[in-house]
Amino acid sequence: MAVDPRIIELINADIDGEISSDDKQELEALLAESPEAQAMHAELAGLGTSLNELPDLEPPAHLKHTIMASIPKSEAQQQRNNVIQAIFTSPPMRYAAMFALGSLVTMTLISSDQASNNAFNDVTGLVGTISSEVPVGPGIRSASIDRPEVAGHVTMRSSGPLLILDFDLVSSRPVDIVATYSDQTVWFNGFAQLESPGASISAESGRITMQVEGKRRYALFLHNAGERNVSINLEFQADGEVVYGTAVQFEQSGESGD
Amino acid sequence: MKGDRRAFEALLVKYEKPVYNAAYRMLHNREDARDVTQTVFLKVYENLDQYNPAHRFFSWVYRIALNESINWLKRSSRQEALEHETADQGGGPEQQAGDQQLGEGMEAALMMIKSDYRAVIVLKHVLGCSYIEISEVLDIPEKTVKSRLYTARQQLQERLTEQGLH
Repeated sequence: MAVDPRIIELINADIDGEISSDDKQELEALLAESPEAQAMHAELAGLGTSLNELPDLEPPAHLKHTIMASIPKSEAQQQRNNVIQAIFTSPPMRYAAMFALGSLVTMTLISSDQASNNAFNDVTGLVGTISSEVPVGPGIRSASIDRPEVAGHVTMRSSGPLLILDFDLVSSRPVDIVATYSDQTVWFNGFAQLESPGASISAESGRITMQVEGKRRYALFLHNAGERNVSINLEFQADGEVVYGTAVQFEQSGESGD
Repeated sequence: MKGDRRAFEALLVKYEKPVYNAAYRMLHNREDARDVTQTVFLKVYENLDQYNPAHRFFSWVYRIALNESINWLKRSSRQEALEHETADQGGGPEQQAGDQQLGEGMEAALMMIKSDYRAVIVLKHVLGCSYIEISEVLDIPEKTVKSRLYTARQQLQERLTEQGLH
């Protein structure tokens, strides 16, 4: 026997906690007379309980930082960022930008008389872009970071002797990234950044330090003359304390895991 | 408040979790829920001058969240894929037992009903909205809220029964 629409309405109001005291009394009286209505009430109440008990999920730790970092600071900066972002999202522009970066790095090296195999120290202000479309060699490694202080990804790619570390990060406060490597045949070969004016970076033999605050996209270029296996240790430091450490590795033989 | 990052951050702290959970229950995918949550808050920030104070603030935020989730489904054509995917996961009664499976079955069943019906279920059972609040969020009469909830529950029961869970 079909359940009366009025009873259905009262049952739904009851399980939704939206029934008046008068309607509640009416429902109880109707339920007492109808086993079908009782069964429906029990079924819908069980369904409601199951829905209410679906677990609450915690948003990713870095989501709030990512959102805050995405909020435009000023229209002028937003316009500038849109142009740079377009470079990242358009493959032809990316290749062009890659070429421009190569020229920029070369000109900077030549003009500063540092076009040698030695590391140089002051590259502040060097701005370019990075390409994810370079031919990918063996031994690609990436690391994911998900800490309250800093979150995102670091990926290492290779193209011949060039190693490219792509940092796509967001931080809630200033975090120093210290990259170290022991192989003396590897040297610092350049740095590029997206939408991050005035990034701070220092490079010395076997050790490169960058700072990240807010949303940042960096690329670090290393020259691996012998195309040998290389391990780059990465430490993320906030207020002088290491909050996360990892390593990315380039291996001639192929990919490897942490 | 537009341009006031500190005030916006306070809103973000308050609404990040409910918006993320609503998006997740609409999309059943954590990465999509993350992206939608980010889009929602950017829209909130950019459109604060369009907020009508005659309505409660949360209803405006939730409306953006549900609209973005539904638009995301339309854009990515995930809806159909999910319906097939979850339908395939139904299995027979012998595969289903216990509360955990009921929870998983419920999540799957939710993805099998139309997004309009899923939206009222999410507002009622995930976000804890009353009829009148749901009516405000979705801009539909309270009577329609009640009928959609009833139909949504009927459809959920049918899907759970098909999976041997009800």
